[in-house]
Amino acid sequence: MGKPVTKKSRSREALAVLGFLAPNLLGFLGFTLLPVVLSFLMAFTNWNLKPAVDLEFVGLRNFADLIGVQAIDRPAPLLSALYFGSAGVLVAGLISVLWANMADWRGTRVGGALIVALGAAVLALAVLRPRVGEDSARAISHGLVISGGIGILAGLGLATREGEGWRPGLGTLPALLLVAGAFGLWMLNGAMWGSYEPRDARFWQYFYNTAYLMIGIPFGIAGSLALALLVNNDLPLSGRAPGPLLAALLRTAAVAICVVFGVVGGTTVIGKVGLASGAGVAALCFLAALLITVRAPAERLGQIAGTLLCLLCGIVTMALVLGMGQPNVAVLGGLFWLMAAMGVAFNIVAYRTVYYLPTFTAGVALMILWKALYNPETGPINVAIETIGNALGRDWQGPEWLASVPWAKPALIIMGVWTGIGGTNMLLYLAGLSNVPTDLMDAADVDGASAWGKFRHVTWPQLGPTTFFITIMSIIGGLQGGFEQARVMTGGGPAGSTTTLSYYIYNKAFQDLDLGYAAAISWVLFAIIFVATALNWKFGRELEVSP
Amino acid sequence: MTRVSKKLGPRMLRTLGAVVRVVVLSIIGFAISIPFVWMVGASFKPRAEVEEAHIVPREPTLDNYPVVLDRMPDPVTGQYLGLRFGRWYFNSIFVALSVTLLQVLTSSMAAYAFARMQWRGRDTVFLLYLATMMIPGVVTMIPNFQIMVSLQFLNTYRGLIIPAAFTAFGTFLLRQFMLSIPQAMDEAAKIDGAGHWRIFWDIVMPQARPGVIALAIITMLGAYQSFFWPLIMLNQEQYYPLPVGMLALDSTYGRQTELIMAATVMNVVPLILIFIIFQKYLVKGLQLGGVKG
Repeated sequence: MGKPVTKKSRSREALAVLGFLAPNLLGFLGFTLLPVVLSFLMAFTNWNLKPAVDLEFVGLRNFADLIGVQAIDRPAPLLSALYFGSAGVLVAGLISVLWANMADWRGTRVGGALIVALGAAVLALAVLRPRVGEDSARAISHGLVISGGIGILAGLGLATREGEGWRPGLGTLPALLLVAGAFGLWMLNGAMWGSYEPRDARFWQYFYNTAYLMIGIPFGIAGSLALALLVNNDLPLSGRAPGPLLAALLRTAAVAICVVFGVVGGTTVIGKVGLASGAGVAALCFLAALLITVRAPAERLGQIAGTLLCLLCGIVTMALVLGMGQPNVAVLGGLFWLMAAMGVAFNIVAYRTVYYLPTFTAGVALMILWKALYNPETGPINVAIETIGNALGRDWQGPEWLASVPWAKPALIIMGVWTGIGGTNMLLYLAGLSNVPTDLMDAADVDGASAWGKFRHVTWPQLGPTTFFITIMSIIGGLQGGFEQARVMTGGGPAGSTTTLSYYIYNKAFQDLDLGYAAAISWVLFAIIFVATALNWKFGRELEVSP
Repeated sequence: MTRVSKKLGPRMLRTLGAVVRVVVLSIIGFAISIPFVWMVGASFKPRAEVEEAHIVPREPTLDNYPVVLDRMPDPVTGQYLGLRFGRWYFNSIFVALSVTLLQVLTSSMAAYAFARMQWRGRDTVFLLYLATMMIPGVVTMIPNFQIMVSLQFLNTYRGLIIPAAFTAFGTFLLRQFMLSIPQAMDEAAKIDGAGHWRIFWDIVMPQARPGVIALAIITMLGAYQSFFWPLIMLNQEQYYPLPVGMLALDSTYGRQTELIMAATVMNVVPLILIFIIFQKYLVKGLQLGGVKG
């Protein structure tokens, strides 16, 4: 700021800003901001790619069609008002329960006990009610079981709070609201859906599908945390090993491997492959034995020896099992020992890399791979189930996976957990773990805390911000997700059971060419995401501070 | 616990712990890598073996790869598949590289403008960038398609590259990174009479390299795997990128698992190569974009 700011230099500065900013800003305005504005406008029109439809402004009609109800026979306004009033009371109860917990209202424990009772009642209702064969009825009772379970858990959490006693107070009110809302919904349910139906029943089904597929999120997060804890520290591997002895051992092993493979190596190709690889590893052992005796640094000796030992074990396992005529078991056994050898050779980095691979390669190709894995007749998963069943003398049949209504969603959830468990979330947890102050850990050690105690009272609270971030990102991703799986693996079926909201939007826009309605769905989706994020933001951050 | 440690001694206990950890980690690694092993195995199977349960083919064949690449007729039916897999490969890589180049260039310049220049309305514009990051991709997808139709970008490379190349995310990531670089050096350069372009190119960019590489990898990965956008933009096979091509292959030859798996292997291999080469930067970048960002 030494020079005086002249008019000329200021205009030159403005030009420079423009030069740096313009390329990105123009693209951003054209392909992000303009579409957002356009999309919002489209949601209020009947914008359609079919030439026969004239563009009209339709106001809120798209949204009403999407989430509204219509009378089947004759309208009963009082009934629907009461029903939606109950739903509103339920939601208000839900939010105020969170609030009461946060603000330490008196009587919250009593409220918690009430919620436990409510959850138990809902659960009992779902279990005891006579089963109806329809998919939608089954879907609803699944939903009841899940929400009952969540109610019991959350209620227990509230009821076991520390501090105040069992006196009712202001904090009991939210739970009463919750109970009243649930009771109202339950009482009015039959009458309501006897005289009304949702205008777009598919929207609600697909919303339910989207929420169902998000069941995998907590498992994925817990798994990522467990993996991060496992791969957080290096393995204590470096150490001395007796050099000359080891070298002699390896040379003997090399000869032994050749002999074993000479015996096993028959006429089959596997035998030949085995023979070749056995000879190769034997040669490597021999070479390594020479190298070790000549020049390996003393502190790496143990590691090299361990790696070679693992490879040796792998080869011997494969040879033995191949000899017993079980090629698949041999390959899998070899794979296990290969993992161990990699771990010993490259330490923890090897495992981090392997765990991260599914995330890095995720995409359409891997979905097509999983589609083949899930094939009911020829896919390896069902073949493995049948083989294990045969070995145990049982007649096990694998499920139809993607082709059956009850198994399609769990199949997608399993695939999702496999893809994401060692991915970005694990890396974020690793970053979080590296920020846990060591003096806290040392203090816990001095106090003689157990491993679980240290995790519960030091690591877990310290990881709070990371968990919070991961949860929010997972929920946002989960609500938007499911398009690729539906398009590539299932076509949204069977019977629409894997169609999520994003696939519904795609179908509405690019199959039915109904862009206005699709834009309206996308804004409803945005609203859901926004509310979920805002609730998380409001209550999740407060919760993470108190241990 | 203490009784055991007294008997075994600390060193022995440490070794035992390491062995247990290696076993647990190896079992998890084993479970995660089985699908890949099966994929590679199936891609080398002749058709007669593909429905059988063994993982390693009895009579391995390399034919599936040239068949998918349309260099060889299908050994069973004697006909060429007539798919342009090689072209799809090229499309994917070409589009991914172009998007990455444009994205890195324009976002680093804009990030410089946000992080290192003073101008009126800067924070407002940046807030606008941030606000759009909350909005899900499907919201903008539909009107963007309309824009593409009116620009006549359907079935062109332009239509695949340009809309993907200007994201708010890239600018946001690099701005955060540039803010963490100390300003002392550009002050000195300014006194020496260096212009913004010099400071940007010779001082800020070299220091921002880890962030730039991280953004490049994330962008390249996203563009290489992008599926929704090309799916709605294209109906001519010669412009397909790999994911859309994979879908076409799967819907036509989905029963020939060995061909599908050969294609899948070819799809995944470049990613694994990129991963191994850039592993160091990638981990850094992901942590940067996550918690610290």
